[in-house]
Amino acid sequence: MAESGRIPVPLRLCRGCRHFVCVDDREDCVFCGTDLDAADAEHEANVMEMRRAAQALRDALAARG
Amino acid sequence: MDAQRADALPVRYAGLDDIVNRVPVSVVWEITLACDLACSHCGSRAGTRRRDELSTAEALDLVDQIAELGARDVGLIGGEAYLRKDWLEIVAAIRAAGMRCDLQTGGRNLSEERVASAAAAGLCGVGISIDGIGATHDKLRGVSGSYELALAALRRVRAHGLSSAVNSQINAYTLPQLRELMDVIIEAGATNWQLAITTAMGNAADHPDMLLQPWQMLEVMPLLASLAVEGRERGLFLQPASNVGYYGPYESVIRNVLDPEIYFHGCNAGDTVMGIEADGTIKSCPGLGSAYAGGNVRETRLREIWEKSEVMAFNRRRTVDDLWGFCRTCYYAETCMGGCTWTSHALMGRAGNNPMCHHRALEMDRQGLRERLVKVKDAPGRSFDHGEFEIVVEPVPARPAEGIVVNG
Repeated sequence: MAESGRIPVPLRLCRGCRHFVCVDDREDCVFCGTDLDAADAEHEANVMEMRRAAQALRDALAARG
Repeated sequence: MDAQRADALPVRYAGLDDIVNRVPVSVVWEITLACDLACSHCGSRAGTRRRDELSTAEALDLVDQIAELGARDVGLIGGEAYLRKDWLEIVAAIRAAGMRCDLQTGGRNLSEERVASAAAAGLCGVGISIDGIGATHDKLRGVSGSYELALAALRRVRAHGLSSAVNSQINAYTLPQLRELMDVIIEAGATNWQLAITTAMGNAADHPDMLLQPWQMLEVMPLLASLAVEGRERGLFLQPASNVGYYGPYESVIRNVLDPEIYFHGCNAGDTVMGIEADGTIKSCPGLGSAYAGGNVRETRLREIWEKSEVMAFNRRRTVDDLWGFCRTCYYAETCMGGCTWTSHALMGRAGNNPMCHHRALEMDRQGLRERLVKVKDAPGRSFDHGEFEIVVEPVPARPAEGIVVNG
């Protein structure tokens, strides 16, 4: 059995400045001061909104035949 | 990552399971050192065959051994792989063993007949090296007319329905031409573009004028980010090599493979990548020199080398304490581990301190400083050898002052 490779130390993406930051930085981005959790929540909300809009568009196109 | 997205990734992309099980997902195999170009940056100083290259029987046996380890992708390189008479037999054997097979080539003599035969043998894709426009490429490749021949080869590959990629060097000569080059290769039908920073190894170590300076990462990374976004919109997928990075505000954009949270997580040599030289020497990365050779398949089975060689295990053994210079106290030290081993070793004589880094250049710039590399020792002139460089820390040109020489 082969020895395991080096498991990457995880980082998270700051949605404010697009720098990756250590996952242990649980509050503000060390580069731009963005509240990481709040920015993630806002990003998720935006993604959900885009998905809803895309689905609405697909439904509308399907309804037109 | 969900299954659908994982299915869409190139097979050579390694996942966490591959790392845990240490599968050599991507094997890069120099099947001959013979070459029909004379590239001024060639790390292996290719040209003539190695003295004792593997026989056909040995090569075919090695294919089976590679497959036994679970490899998914075998990239054939040289020298120029098609100069080996049995290269199509090797391609066919790799495909028969259930692995993807690609050819990385300068394309000078990749004739219609060769492309057709390779497609018939099962070759999946071809990556053609194109470095700059016209005369720039010809100068770097050492053969007049090689630029047009490379483009013709790319079109030929495309016409045969093979996946068509371009590999380009980023160096002092090509950097100003990358945007124009992207237009050219999209026009010629490329769908993938791998970009690597020219590393100071082999012939490139003899041409320090060609090498980028660390502070130029401040120019390189925004440019690559812009090309990545534009390329994606035009059907070209940009793939930065492991020596391009690291972090900074463009990391997500340039390394994005269907997932904006992909980032550089350290050198993967010996964990999911394997390099093979034409005489059967096994290394953890195709670019690394002989100090990183784990053994030879003429003496030891591949599995034993892969699983037991301590030389191949340097990535698993490396800790932050092994880093030095700027990298030792870097914010990203635990994840990055000094970036590309090949790049830092070739420049600094040992791994663990990599000046070719965007985050590092940004941090220096914030202090009004920049790093400049000065060659202090020539390379001896062997395949995969290197010289030695010193880092000069100096104020950015707007604030001229005396440079300070440090050793990392």
